[in-house]
Amino acid sequence: MMDQQPTDGYYNYPVVRRPVWTWEIPAYFWLGGIAGGAYVTASLAQNFGSAEDRRYLADGFYLAALAAIPCAPLLTADLGRPERFHHMLRVFKPLSPMNLGAWTLTAFAPLTVARAAARAAETQLLRGPLAALTRLVPKTLIELTGTVLGLTLAGYTGVLLAATNVPLWAKSKLLGGLFMASAMSSGTAAVALAAARRGAPDAILHRLATIESAASVGELAMLTGYLAQSGKTARPLTSGRVAMPFWLGAVGAGTLLPLLLHRIAGRRHGGILRSLSSAAALGSLAGSLALRWSIFEAGKVSSEDQAASFELASD
Amino acid sequence: MIDRYQRGMNLQSPPPPRTLKGFFTDTSLCIGCKACEVACKQWNQLPADGYALTGNSYDNTGALGATTWRHVQFIEQAKANGGSRQEQRWLMMSDVCKHCANAACLEACPTGSLVRTEFGTVYVQQDICNGCGYCVPACPFGVIDRAPIDGHFEPGTAHKCTLCYDRLKDDMTPACAKSCPTASIQFGDVEELRERARRRLGELQARGESKARLYGMPDGKEAQEVGPLHAFFLLLDEPEKYNLPAVPRLPRRTMAERYGWSAAVGAGFALVAALVFGGRR
Repeated sequence: MMDQQPTDGYYNYPVVRRPVWTWEIPAYFWLGGIAGGAYVTASLAQNFGSAEDRRYLADGFYLAALAAIPCAPLLTADLGRPERFHHMLRVFKPLSPMNLGAWTLTAFAPLTVARAAARAAETQLLRGPLAALTRLVPKTLIELTGTVLGLTLAGYTGVLLAATNVPLWAKSKLLGGLFMASAMSSGTAAVALAAARRGAPDAILHRLATIESAASVGELAMLTGYLAQSGKTARPLTSGRVAMPFWLGAVGAGTLLPLLLHRIAGRRHGGILRSLSSAAALGSLAGSLALRWSIFEAGKVSSEDQAASFELASD
Repeated sequence: MIDRYQRGMNLQSPPPPRTLKGFFTDTSLCIGCKACEVACKQWNQLPADGYALTGNSYDNTGALGATTWRHVQFIEQAKANGGSRQEQRWLMMSDVCKHCANAACLEACPTGSLVRTEFGTVYVQQDICNGCGYCVPACPFGVIDRAPIDGHFEPGTAHKCTLCYDRLKDDMTPACAKSCPTASIQFGDVEELRERARRRLGELQARGESKARLYGMPDGKEAQEVGPLHAFFLLLDEPEKYNLPAVPRLPRRTMAERYGWSAAVGAGFALVAALVFGGRR
């Protein structure tokens, strides 16, 4: 609840309605971001990396598929009428970010599964007729298409929240950029975690650390801009019930801790490097969930903030 | 093939356009009888919302919602130690869906359930809506809402004023306007109502109602983004006093910029990653 201060409005009643969405939505934003980020990193490693990059980082396709598969069920579960989930696809209407997202996910999820299956066939994990079928998968083509779709999936979620009249989501123009940066850092973190577990060479972990750190710096920049543009409107996020998960989880564990750990890991090798990389990756993954969850929950509080609504609507 | 797809997906060609219909709600005539609220509930078979008391004047309705499509506000402007007549007054206003020319709910809807009817009104097709809930925070006026999933009334889909679409189809006046005993709620062709509203505003201003104004006319700043409102108002004070935003925002207007930032970050990341992998360092 907001502080009861006298306002110009009608009995301090909210101007806009409270979003009806539940936990499935931030969970989906998180998984969709990881799926997109992991797929983009794995695809770029395939097309620009060394032979070792290609071998060790192709596991990213498994991660992308694993993260993408629960997305549609989560979105369906949050509907008021889940049995009508397919109505999302009865029109093509990219003007609505939610329609754009439904189409993107519909195209992206099967693509991740196809690419993961192709990888499984390469490593003899998948044998028999299914493995023969994966030879039909045009790898480079779906890596390229998947990169574009993965980036769209990672970034549109922030725009979806922002394209409303909830003050916390709509005031700043940077929420889409923030979610994109967070998705890329957590997706790369997932790839790094898998690579560290498989005992990838030090050079690969160092390269991933550089990429992850770049994403974290971008995330910090977006976050700073987001908070600065939001001003007083950001109070439900920065000092409300979700302040702890936001500052400690999203900012601390999600960006500052990985940056610090990667800096320490910069000149380390072997076991200690793997431990530091894994810890940084876990922090980044947890922080990315904390970011989505805290902004989502704080948005509900913000929707009841009459003064913030009037400020959003002032010229 | 296309025919079968269109039938299966309930895609039908729309009926031919008719003259724009709307409401002119003249709050200077409202006496707060709530006949509009009751008539709306009766005609549209909307369930009651309980007997909770808010303690805020006679307003125990609170807000528009899935089962409340008219909401009468009671704004008590009384000063303890006298003052002019302008400062001692009790404003009443029957709020309703504005049926915006550029409707945020309609643009947000991912299923095409929200449509513009042949009368220029905004309508939720109940057989299409899958209850995604995106229209709810999209509306800058807090009008549309999703009915509770565990409720008895059309559970899980979005609802709001239909401008009595069923009555319009039969050339009848919407229930609220029909029941209004003071002609505070006037129904008709939008163009004609605007003319009437301008005349009425002139009359009130001539009588000394200096704060009177129209809200939702094509030249008003409230129409900057959401366009003219097909259900518009004559107010006796600033819009905020009635919980109406000064410049209601249409999310589409800023969407390109928001996508732009997102795309820039994504492209920047892809470039850095490609360089790092390509540089092999």
